[in-house]
Amino acid sequence: MSSAAQEFLRSAAVKSADLTHRQIIRRGIDQYSSANDRGRSRFADWEAARQRCHEIKWEALNNLDRYLLEFEQRVKERGGHVFWAADSAEACRYITELAVSRGVHKMVKSKSMVAEEIHLSPALEKAGIQAIETDLGEYIVQLRNEPPYHIVTPAMHLTRKDIADLFKEKLGDVDTDDPVELVAAARRALRRDFFSAEMGISGANFLVADAGMIAVTTNEGNGRLCTSVPRIHVALAGIEKVIPRLQDLALFWPVLATAGTGQPITCYNTLIGGPRKPNEVDGPEEFHVVLLDNGRSELLADVEQRDVLHCIRCGACLNVCPVFRTIGGHSYGTTYPGPIGSVLTPHLRGIDEFHHLSYASSLCGACTDACPVKIDLHHHLLENRRNAVNHSARPWTERMGFKIWQWTMQSASRFRILGGLARIALRVTHGLGLHGTALDPMGPWSKNHAAPHVPEKSFRALWGKNNAAN
Amino acid sequence: MPQTENPSRETILARIRTALREPAPRHQPVKAGPIFAPVTDLLDRFQKECGINITEFVAVPNLHASAAAIKEILAALPTGEIFVQDSPDLRELAAEWQDGRTIQWSSEGGPKESAQATISACEALVAQTGSVLVSAACGGRGASVVAPVHIVVATINQLLPDIDAALARAQERGTVAQNSFLCLITGSSRTADIEKILVMGAHGPRRLIVVLAMS
Repeated sequence: MSSAAQEFLRSAAVKSADLTHRQIIRRGIDQYSSANDRGRSRFADWEAARQRCHEIKWEALNNLDRYLLEFEQRVKERGGHVFWAADSAEACRYITELAVSRGVHKMVKSKSMVAEEIHLSPALEKAGIQAIETDLGEYIVQLRNEPPYHIVTPAMHLTRKDIADLFKEKLGDVDTDDPVELVAAARRALRRDFFSAEMGISGANFLVADAGMIAVTTNEGNGRLCTSVPRIHVALAGIEKVIPRLQDLALFWPVLATAGTGQPITCYNTLIGGPRKPNEVDGPEEFHVVLLDNGRSELLADVEQRDVLHCIRCGACLNVCPVFRTIGGHSYGTTYPGPIGSVLTPHLRGIDEFHHLSYASSLCGACTDACPVKIDLHHHLLENRRNAVNHSARPWTERMGFKIWQWTMQSASRFRILGGLARIALRVTHGLGLHGTALDPMGPWSKNHAAPHVPEKSFRALWGKNNAAN
Repeated sequence: MPQTENPSRETILARIRTALREPAPRHQPVKAGPIFAPVTDLLDRFQKECGINITEFVAVPNLHASAAAIKEILAALPTGEIFVQDSPDLRELAAEWQDGRTIQWSSEGGPKESAQATISACEALVAQTGSVLVSAACGGRGASVVAPVHIVVATINQLLPDIDAALARAQERGTVAQNSFLCLITGSSRTADIEKILVMGAHGPRRLIVVLAMS
């Protein structure tokens, strides 16, 4: 078992038994669910919206080279720079070197999952550059020195009391647990940073090919300040974020908001292409887009799972997942938690180390139903299980077990004899009180399960008897 | 400006092209109905949506009457300077509402952090979502985000049924090509990052006010 798998099992066991944690998550997700229901009812046909989103993303991904080149061309025409990064190291190096060469000491960041993926902040810190998260949730988890808990709501796992204690310790001038006051305190602290930072970093929800603009969706307005006030703006996005037309946003903006938070539309849907034009009032002098591959082109080559790249990072699959609700976002030990993370991480970080996440699912399919771009998430989990088995040697005990199973199932008499023996073995184990002990052959399973009742007669015996009686 | 060196560009493009030799399967449409119900009564819908997304809506008979409405809004704000988009219309209105406050015009640079309010025009209003579309031409990027209050001065002919129409018009009129920035604003800045409780005025304006001239 990989060390990531061991840590996952340990953390999941702790978190699933933490009733306070489960209560906090349940409350948050219940609110999301009712908002999401209301949001979907604003569409004349939500299913038609999902289908259309799927078609647009399909078109974009299956012509990815063409649309990326169109995007690059138009951004350059607008006076922006486009950098293609093969992996995390290359992306971090470009941004760090850019910052150093421009004399940047302080950077403000709006929310970017790709920045988390490439571990940008630690790389910048190593170069002596301060990178400050400005999305309130991200700011809170940064102060706690923690990764985001959820793709959309990074501090979902914390109570106002936790946040009040944190602010009191870190910001000093706050002594309240009133959310309005806490937000005001963060606003005051971050305003100073917005107006003193030399560089702003943003993600991009979409890269719009025909307009040569990036689209950034935020509620707080932090993303807007990051991209308006500092003199350099760097946008960081995966290559899969490209969409063909500006017009497509008339659908994607409401869909992203509905799936993400249940809002009809997010407060600020910003389009940015290039630095400030000569006749414009304000804006950065430099605009850079970093396009990140980091394993995405490999996933693109997997025809069966290419649609995983359709993901718009709305977090809907996390919210509906019974596993996420129970074990929480941090147990996964990955940048992207929940069903999409369980599917994606083995592709980005290796199937040997992360295939255990394919089993972090009840295969109920709630994620697939919730996905606004119709990614077949739970079947992809099954495919990852299959790929993991084909990819690497399984332990001899597992292989032997399946050999015996196969041999048994191929003959009715073998099934009868071995079934009978198993029934006896179960009775003996339970009779001797060995259930769940080291001597229990079903040990790993019994540890967390009550002993099943073993009926007097087997199904086959009952069938024979009843049929004879008739 | 120096050209960005791109050592991995060709490698990534080559990988993509190799990957795409085989097409991916796609979901077949079950039925193709309209995704959104068409918006019919534009003004009624816009007003309703403003109520939902917490935009303050003030209707005035004509552009001239906007001045009095703005004067009233400003009267209730703390003292201090305001930022106004430099346009002939707003210059004219400012002459009428003048209340002794210092005005920083957008032609003098972006809004200062100390501005009590910003006043700008917009590119379009969207009935479907009660939104305001602004561009860099509407006083710049900071004009709609820096101050605690943002007042938008609009006229009824700018009201469009939906986002689709607003984006189409922005493209047709060259607004997309001519501006480095556009933003579809719906309500004022907010967050629900603490226990999912809605708090207004996270980093941007606490209040968004649309003053709409009906003729």
